[in-house]
Amino acid sequence: MSNALVQIDSLRIDVKVTRTRRLTIVNSATFDVEPGQLLGLIGESGSGKTMLCRSLVGTLYRRGAYIQSGSLTFGGTDLVNASPKDWRDIRGKRIGYIPQSALAGPNPVMTIGAQMAEAIKQGEKMDNSYVRARALELLEIVQIRRPEIVLKQYPYELSGGMKQRVMIACAIAREPQLIVADEPTTGLDVTVQAEIMELLRQIRRDLNTSIILVSHDLPLINEVCDDIVIMHAGATVEKIPSEQIEKTRHPYTQALYNSRIDLVEPRGKLITINGQPPTVGDWPTGCRFAARCDYAQPQCSADVEIPLATVGTKHVSACIRQAEIWGK
Amino acid sequence: MVIAFSLIRLSPGDPAAARLGAGAETEAVEALREQLGLNKGALEQFINYMAGIFRGDLGVSLVNGVDVLETIQRTFPLTLIYITLSVLFAFIISIPVGTIIGWSNKATAVYIFRGITAIIIATPNFFIAMVAILIFSVQRNWAPVFGYVSEFPENLKYLWLPIAINTLILVAIISRVLHTSVVDTREEEFVETGIIRGVSRPRFFWFYILKPSLAPTVVLMSYMMATMLGATVILETIFSLPGIGRELVGAVLASDYPMVQGILLMFGVITVLLSFIGDLLAYALDRRVKI
Amino acid sequence: MSSNKAFREDATRRERLKEWVSRPGGFGIITGVVMFASITLVGFIYPLVGPYGSDEFVGKSLEAPSLAHPMGLDQLGRDVMTRVFSAVPIDIGIAFLGVSIPLVIGTIVGILLGLSKNKYFKSIVSSLIDGINAFPLLIIAIAMVAFLGPGLFNVVIILTIMNWARYARIARTRAVVVLQQNYIEATKLMGYSRRRVIRKHIAPNVSSESLAYALSDFILVIIIVSGLSFLGLAARPPTAEWGSMIADGRTFLGEAWWLTVFPGLALCWAAISLSFIVEGLSRRDRGNA
Repeated sequence: MSNALVQIDSLRIDVKVTRTRRLTIVNSATFDVEPGQLLGLIGESGSGKTMLCRSLVGTLYRRGAYIQSGSLTFGGTDLVNASPKDWRDIRGKRIGYIPQSALAGPNPVMTIGAQMAEAIKQGEKMDNSYVRARALELLEIVQIRRPEIVLKQYPYELSGGMKQRVMIACAIAREPQLIVADEPTTGLDVTVQAEIMELLRQIRRDLNTSIILVSHDLPLINEVCDDIVIMHAGATVEKIPSEQIEKTRHPYTQALYNSRIDLVEPRGKLITINGQPPTVGDWPTGCRFAARCDYAQPQCSADVEIPLATVGTKHVSACIRQAEIWGK
Repeated sequence: MVIAFSLIRLSPGDPAAARLGAGAETEAVEALREQLGLNKGALEQFINYMAGIFRGDLGVSLVNGVDVLETIQRTFPLTLIYITLSVLFAFIISIPVGTIIGWSNKATAVYIFRGITAIIIATPNFFIAMVAILIFSVQRNWAPVFGYVSEFPENLKYLWLPIAINTLILVAIISRVLHTSVVDTREEEFVETGIIRGVSRPRFFWFYILKPSLAPTVVLMSYMMATMLGATVILETIFSLPGIGRELVGAVLASDYPMVQGILLMFGVITVLLSFIGDLLAYALDRRVKI
Repeated sequence: MSSNKAFREDATRRERLKEWVSRPGGFGIITGVVMFASITLVGFIYPLVGPYGSDEFVGKSLEAPSLAHPMGLDQLGRDVMTRVFSAVPIDIGIAFLGVSIPLVIGTIVGILLGLSKNKYFKSIVSSLIDGINAFPLLIIAIAMVAFLGPGLFNVVIILTIMNWARYARIARTRAVVVLQQNYIEATKLMGYSRRRVIRKHIAPNVSSESLAYALSDFILVIIIVSGLSFLGLAARPPTAEWGSMIADGRTFLGEAWWLTVFPGLALCWAAISLSFIVEGLSRRDRGNA
């Protein structure tokens, strides 16, 4: 565990709503990312996935959010108290970021070439011919045809999939140790989605980069990633290797897994999760899934933090009844 | 052009009779009609007028017989100078104001900013001008209102106040539009990528904040320019500046139809030109804009 | 989230009002409405109950403001306060006509354009609309005074001729969008008559946008009416009208500032109250505080 690239422990992120009102968006996020690991981060909207990503690239302040407590380290650097200089050294160089929406990710008023040059240079002085060669090389890596032409184009001239490939090229420009991909396939066709996923896997293989892949699509994550972290209502509820997903030890993961539309057996009943996720900031005490959980008992809602219990190697669960329900 | 012309034809009054006054004899009126070509059919008059435009002939003034085109050439440069200067100053002031308030997004600052600009926009320019005159011309003789002198250093004394007022109003309009635009831009996802790319501060402000926000501002400005031209008419009248706007008011009051028509045509051309320039500029800033 | 409270059954009227005001732009809307209502009320009531007539000579020429005449007397010895308030029905009334008539005409034309299948009608009216909209409103209004002659009635005619095109454009755009909506399709399937569909379903949906524009247009038109009067092209003496009062006061700016400042403030009051409402409504639309 000590050689983990990213260590997140009981991270709490608050957001300033008004001068006096604070909302807790992420309450207790706890997980590690190993070097070269492809980690899936999954949860419903409002579970704090995006904020968690932002905390890794230091742009929380843009939405008036900040880390309230807990710890967040990357390669030994404390990111909670990182100075602007620390961020300059880490962001873009050691942590790459692929934005949520392919359509809004690239800057609309700059050519692809200019944007890639920025991503390559990261504010440093570099030889122009080197920058250009590198940009072409990166576009080759993300399998864009006719890169010379693309460099001169504006984002609106590219398709959604192309744009996201460019964003990936920008993210890997400095061969970072970690790539944060925040729902990188939102708004893309299923076929394009599969291509992007394949590309991410290939990049992980070739560059030995860790990737945090955020999604709300469990089957997709399950197929692509090594390990899965499940978030619910701002808290980590389970971390499980993807091949063991069927042996989940948390009712929420189970519900997510069951609620997928089964393409193999389409006539089966469509199972959905009861109720709505709790309102952001208006968290119930104890287990936040209790209100929607079939196994819930009064002690689940007691006013105590639910601890993460180790179930097996690389498998932790935040259900106090997991042992009872699934047995040893 | 068609509109400028049809306005004349639609008018119930007879320009010739109006020119000579109520007591004029019928023969005299008829003679003048003949001279002005008003006795011909509407279509013929229109064709003659159009032909005149292409020859650079906009007719002559009914009041003093001066060539209309010549009058426009004489009066337009002043209007052009002072509009250009106001727009220039207005952009120089509005860009930092709109960007900084939009980017910082401090609730109090935004509230005050939007309140003040709303008040400036809602206040008629002639009232602003009157108050300014009361302060700068009546109480201290800093900005004389009468007797414009066109020589260079001397004319600044007469021009600075109208330019300042025009600039103030434009700043309110432009900075408001820019502010809204910047607020929209700062929520965009690509701003995030800009931060992550470690772009230098000036470069970031230009490429990630200002440039994406400016295109809508410029497009709107070219529409606003039309309203601005209207404002110059009033300001020129108040400050007795011999520009094209005051010429228009004078011509209207004197029922000088060829003059009104010529100036109207001029304004039409300027409006079209301005919106074209605005579109070109917007395209240069943001390729998504369609011309 | 917090606004749900307002729709609770047991919320008192006072609570509901408070809740409404606390939503984005509420303060601006309330301030604007109160300001506008107050000047309209004063304008309609004061001339009836005030001690002087608007054309009555009640004292020395250019008498400074005093208790008897809080806004002083003008160059002819008329009470400025009476005249400022007497101008309300004229300025606001003319502006109201100058907005409402084009609003109605323009919206009807716009809807017809949206519905029409006649290519020639469409292209002719559309190019007419674009042609009229290309000209600056104040310039064209000034020019048209030359042909129609000065006078408040003519101003209404000019505003109607010029302004309907703007409303027609808004209504046309909106009508095209509304006509593509599913519910319009549904009304056809339900066998409603064409007239009923237009009256009950299309017109209300189209006019909401036009009404929003009309409010901001109201400010512009008030300024144009008073601006034309200021240039001596609309209201003629002895009509009490803000723009012409300010113009009259120009000559006496040195010795009698009250002739200019009070009508100007009244004009600002009216225009600013409306702009607060517009600002408040747009904030509410955008939903940010």
